[in-house]
Amino acid sequence: MEEILSKIAHCVEFGKVNKAAPYPPDMKGLDGADELTREALDSGVKADVILKQALVEGMDRVGKKFSEKKIFIPQMLMSAKAMNAAIEHLKPYFKSGEVQRKGKFIIATVQGDLHDIGKNLVKMSIEGAGWEVIDLGVDVKVEKLLAAIEENPGAKIGLSALLTTTMGNMKDAVAAIKSKYPNNEVLIGGAPVNDDFRKQIGADYYAPDPQGVVAHLNK
Amino acid sequence: MKGIELIKKAFALQNVERVPWVPFVGCHGGHLINVTASEFLKSSDLIFKGVSKAVEIYKPDGIPVLFDLQVEAEALGCRLVWSDDNPPAVVSHVLLEGKTLSDLSVPSSTDGRIGIAIDAAKKLRKEFPDIALYGLITGPYTLALHLLGTDIFMKMLEAPEEILALLDFTKEVGKAMAGYYIDAGCDIIAVVDPMTSQIDPDSFEMFVHEPAKEIFDFIRAKGKLSSFFVCGHAQQNIEAMCATHPDNISIDENIPLDFVRDIALKNEISFGGNLKLTVVLLMGTPEDARREAMECLDLGGKIGFVLAPGCDLPKDTPPENIKAITELVNDEYLQQVERAKEKSETEIALLNMKDYGRVNKVIVDIITLDSESCAPCQYMVEAVKRVAPHFEGIVVWREHAIKKMEAVTFMNSLLVKNIPTICIDGKIAFVSKIPPQNELIAAIQQRINEKFKLIISSRRAEVLILGKNDAECKEAREAVELAMKETGKHISLKTSTDSAMKATFGVVNTPAIILTEHKIKARGEVPSVDIIKEWLKDI
Repeated sequence: MEEILSKIAHCVEFGKVNKAAPYPPDMKGLDGADELTREALDSGVKADVILKQALVEGMDRVGKKFSEKKIFIPQMLMSAKAMNAAIEHLKPYFKSGEVQRKGKFIIATVQGDLHDIGKNLVKMSIEGAGWEVIDLGVDVKVEKLLAAIEENPGAKIGLSALLTTTMGNMKDAVAAIKSKYPNNEVLIGGAPVNDDFRKQIGADYYAPDPQGVVAHLNK
Repeated sequence: MKGIELIKKAFALQNVERVPWVPFVGCHGGHLINVTASEFLKSSDLIFKGVSKAVEIYKPDGIPVLFDLQVEAEALGCRLVWSDDNPPAVVSHVLLEGKTLSDLSVPSSTDGRIGIAIDAAKKLRKEFPDIALYGLITGPYTLALHLLGTDIFMKMLEAPEEILALLDFTKEVGKAMAGYYIDAGCDIIAVVDPMTSQIDPDSFEMFVHEPAKEIFDFIRAKGKLSSFFVCGHAQQNIEAMCATHPDNISIDENIPLDFVRDIALKNEISFGGNLKLTVVLLMGTPEDARREAMECLDLGGKIGFVLAPGCDLPKDTPPENIKAITELVNDEYLQQVERAKEKSETEIALLNMKDYGRVNKVIVDIITLDSESCAPCQYMVEAVKRVAPHFEGIVVWREHAIKKMEAVTFMNSLLVKNIPTICIDGKIAFVSKIPPQNELIAAIQQRINEKFKLIISSRRAEVLILGKNDAECKEAREAVELAMKETGKHISLKTSTDSAMKATFGVVNTPAIILTEHKIKARGEVPSVDIIKEWLKDI
C-alpha cells in the first residue's frame, strides 16, 4: 500500500495525468494518477487514505516548490490536472460521506475584475489540500457571494483582485460579508493587494501565493 | 540635450549628465484630458491630445504612443470587454472558438485599432520630433495567451509543437507591428510580454527565446532601438531575456532594480524601471513619489538606466505625483535634498515640540540643505538675516542644515517636508519660496503680537507694602493706589506690618514696596526640563 500511495503522490507532484500523457517526458508510457488511483481503490486502499496520504501530500510538495520558484504555472497546472484525474475516482466516496473533506471554501474574483488565473491556481491548491471549493467565477457581485455563504454556513471565503480599480470592490465585498457573517473568515489575494490593504479593509488574512493560503488553512 | 539623444546615450551605455525619464502614459492620458479609457483608446485624436498633454506637463525624454496589449488580439478576432478606468480585457480566445492557427493571418496596418495607433504615432512624431517615441507591441507569449487562453500553460508541456507553431505566428505579428510603428516614425519598439513572468527559464528558452530574438533582430536591422518590458515576478527570466538581445529591458517593482541592473550591465544591455505603480504613484503623495524616484535614480545610476514606472500608469494616477518626479529628474539640487532626507528617514526619534516657542523671544528656524552650497537656501537665510536687526533682542534665528543628522531630526519634528523652509516659533511659515522682506517682517510681527497678548493675559501681579501702620505707610499705599488707578491696572494690594515678612525680604527701613509678578507658563501639563530651563533664562 505504501508503495502505490507514494507512486500516486509522485504522479501528482510531477504532473503525470495518465498512461497516455506525454508529460513528463521521463515517465512516458508509465501509469499516471488516473490508473494508479483506480488500482489502489480496487486493491482495497481506503479513499480517505488516498486523499490524505497521496493527493494532499503530492500537492503539498507542488505548493512548496511553487512558492520557492522551483516550478511555475505550467507545471503547477499539470499537477492539478493529475490530481483531478485521481479525484474523479474518489467522488463517489465524497458523496457517500466516507471521505470527509476539511471544509468548504468559497472563491471568487471580485466584481468588475475578469482575471482568473490567480484565482484558479489558488482553487487547485486548496482542493489539493483536501478542501471542497465552491468557485463562483469572475466578476462576482456581492449578492452572489452572500447567497453562497448563506448556502454554505461556516465556509471560508477567498477573494481575488488583479486591478487597482477593483480593489475598491474588494473592500465593499469584505464589508458586506463581515457585516452579515462576521464569523466567516475572509482571505484576500491578487497582484495589487498586500497585508496593509487587508488590514485597511478588515479582511482576515492575506497570502502572497497559493501555498500561503494552504499553509494558513492547515494551521 | 534632446530627449531622444539622451535615451540613445543611455541605451548605448554611455555616461549621461541626467537620467532619461519615460513615464508610461497609457490610458492615464485619458485621465489628463477627462475622457474614459474606452473613449481614449479608440480614438487617435484623443490619444494624440492625451499624450501631448502628458508631454507638456511631464516633460518626458520618451513616451509610448499607446499602452494597450489588447490591440493585436482584438485585430485577430478576440472579444474585448471595455472599461472606463482600465485598458480593455480579452474575454474570448479565438483559438478556443473553433478557429485554428491556419485560419489566422497577420493583421494589416489598418485592422482593428492598429490604424488608430499608427495614426496617433504619426501625429505625435510630427508634433514632437525631439522626444523618443515608443511603439509598444504585444509580446509573442502574451499574444499567444490571448489567442489560446490559459490552455497554453498545459499545452506547453503536453503538446509543445502546437505552442511552438503558435509562437511562430505571434512572432510574425510582432514583426509586422514593429514595422508599422517604425514606418510611422517611432524610435524605439518595446516588446511587452508580461505573461512570461509566469513561466520558468527552461520554458522561456524553449518557447520565447527564438521569437523574441527574431523580433529584436528585425528592429535592429531597421536601424531602430528595442526594449523588452515585463511585469510581475519575472526575476527568474532576466538572464534569459538578456539572451534574446534587446537593447534595453524594463521591469516593475516585483524585481529589485539592482538585481536587474547587475545582470543587464553584465550583458551590456541598458535597463529601466521600476517606480512602484500602486502604493506610490497611484495612492501615494508627491512626497512619496519623489522619495521613490530618488531611490530608483540612485540604484539605477547614470550608465544605461532609464527611469520609468514599472508598467502602464493606472488611469487615475494623480498628475501631481508624476510631476514631482519630473521636477526631481531635472533638478540636481532637489535630488541632494531628497538624498539627505532619505539617509535618516527610518530611525529618527522625533523631538517633543509641543512647548517649542514658549520663551519670550521669537525663534526663527531656517531649515536648509546647507546655505553655503545651495542657492535657494542661501537666499532664504539672507532674507532672515536682513530682517533680524529690525527686531534686535526680540528675535533669535538659527539655520538648520540637514546635512547634519540633528537638523534632520529637528526638521522631521517640526513636520517640515520641503527645503528650504522658515519656521517661526516652531510653526511652518514660508515653504520653498523666499519671502519678500515686508512679508517676513509682518509674519514675525504677528507672532510678537500674539506672544505679547499671551504674556499680558497670563500675567498676574501683587503689590505688598511693608510698614508700621504709620502715616508714611498710609501715604505709600495711597500713592500705589493712585498709580494703579492712573494706569488702569487691577493689582491686588496688601499691607503687612509683620516683622517676619520684613525679615524674609531683608527689609530694614519702611515703608517698603514690593512688586511680585506671576507669569503663567504652563497650564494643565508638565513641560519638559529643557523648556523650563529656557524660561529660567528669562529671569
